[in-house]
Amino acid sequence: MKPVEFEKIKRPEKIGLPFMLDFYPLQDEKNTKISQFFKDLKEGHLTTTKCQKCDKLLWPPRIVCPNCLTSELEWVDLGTQGELYAFTEIRLGAPLGFVQDVPFCIGIVRIGGLLISTRIDNAKYDQLKIGDKLTLKIIELEDGRVFYRFKRP
Amino acid sequence: MRNVAIVGGGAAKAGRRAASWRDLAQEAGKSMFEDVENISPKDVDSIFVGAAQPERFSFLSYVAPLVAEYIGVTPRKVIARTELACVSGQAAIRYAWNCVATGMSDIAVAIGVEKMYPPDMAEAQTTMACVLDREWDGVNCFSAPPFFAVTAQRHMYEFGTTEEQMALVSVKNHHYSSLNPIAHLQKEVTVEAVLKSPVVAPPLKLFDCCPMTDGSAGVILVPAEDAKKYTDTPMYLMGSGQYAIGNVINNLASLTEWIPLKLAAKEAWRTAKITKDDVDIAEVHDCFTISEILEYEGLEFCEKGKGGKFIEEGESYIGGKVAVNPSGGIMGCGHPLGATSIYHAIEILKQFRGDVDSGMYVKGATIGIQHSLSGAANQHSLIVYGREPR
Repeated sequence: MKPVEFEKIKRPEKIGLPFMLDFYPLQDEKNTKISQFFKDLKEGHLTTTKCQKCDKLLWPPRIVCPNCLTSELEWVDLGTQGELYAFTEIRLGAPLGFVQDVPFCIGIVRIGGLLISTRIDNAKYDQLKIGDKLTLKIIELEDGRVFYRFKRP
Repeated sequence: MRNVAIVGGGAAKAGRRAASWRDLAQEAGKSMFEDVENISPKDVDSIFVGAAQPERFSFLSYVAPLVAEYIGVTPRKVIARTELACVSGQAAIRYAWNCVATGMSDIAVAIGVEKMYPPDMAEAQTTMACVLDREWDGVNCFSAPPFFAVTAQRHMYEFGTTEEQMALVSVKNHHYSSLNPIAHLQKEVTVEAVLKSPVVAPPLKLFDCCPMTDGSAGVILVPAEDAKKYTDTPMYLMGSGQYAIGNVINNLASLTEWIPLKLAAKEAWRTAKITKDDVDIAEVHDCFTISEILEYEGLEFCEKGKGGKFIEEGESYIGGKVAVNPSGGIMGCGHPLGATSIYHAIEILKQFRGDVDSGMYVKGATIGIQHSLSGAANQHSLIVYGREPR
């Protein structure tokens, strides 16, 4: 009887960070209807949509007002100065793509009447307190995509 | 609408298990059917499978037929997977309950499965971090631990809650889980050990957090009028409440007062025709120590802002105002997302049967509630169970 054949097969040794594990959204007009948000970020402005009918400020930006279902939304600038509402520091358990940055601070910032989550740069946990003034900062990924952060002045 | 009862249930030992996703499902299925002598898998007409993230953790979708096949069920009325993150299991019970209540199903199974121990922790954390709005909160690294860390920080800031008070929740729940043979963690901890455990995201330390757990659990639901055919000790579903407000952090009702929990509880008490004072056992979602403190307040076992004091005074121990998590809770038993809330139901069933260690037994309990929350605590679900039919 012939022996059963054994063969070692090869698979790619490394797979790059695939799209499905990338936290940063696709940003151009081919992929999203809120590409204006990212265009504004590229010019240094943090913006969001406001309903022209009911005046509700909507975060995150969107294409339909959930309050009155209109698509008549306008882009408004939220400014560059935020106030720290709550914060923590990632020390253990960071996801892929963030592990190399540990430890780093994240928090919730009050800006333009919103409470938005953010990375907080230039800060260690012990240097921060609730109520601190923080400034807008834009980061750019290697492929040109952008996102907002806040930093300690 | 028909009244509905749970006639039995079974679970896999929770923990870091040398078992695959489908091994766990089979263990729970076997244990569940062995618990109810005269229901066999072929009698079941409907099945709901609670599974939060099998795509990520185990690279599996379409898991309801897979579980049905493995536990010998051939569904002929309703079959579906239920996903609601950490509440996926309770969602399965609620769907099964509805199907039996409406007459669509006569014997339904709610079973939850989650396998959370892949080899790579960063990948597992990536999986968890797409529960909160991935593009707007996850992208800023808000997953469960940091979200509950800022919740704790604000609660400390607004109400003076202390890290020691949070540690006391961990001490209580690890105490009870040390007595629970299917719990993930079966060792007691001290306040000092909690405070000195590695910092995950301040003010939360490792022992303020529930573990990552593999587990599976299932229960069988039938019309209440048939329940005694299958068991002497059915557990009756008396009422429920569920409420969700917002999703992204900006759109939460409040960080430190869980308004959806208050509203869900109000509805649960109303539909079960009870008050909070009637609750003997509360199996609540202590994913983090701060969560249980907010739950004392949201369920109105104590005043808003006084949750820390409530544990400090021992009111949530057996013999206190209400026994909270006498099973050991998620903190001690583990949190296999899709199965967690089905473990809750089984723990209350075991209490009603008197089938628990004497140190965790709530003697004479007639009303038990299970509570689960998901995401940024923006969704809360409660079920009220009775030892007697309503």
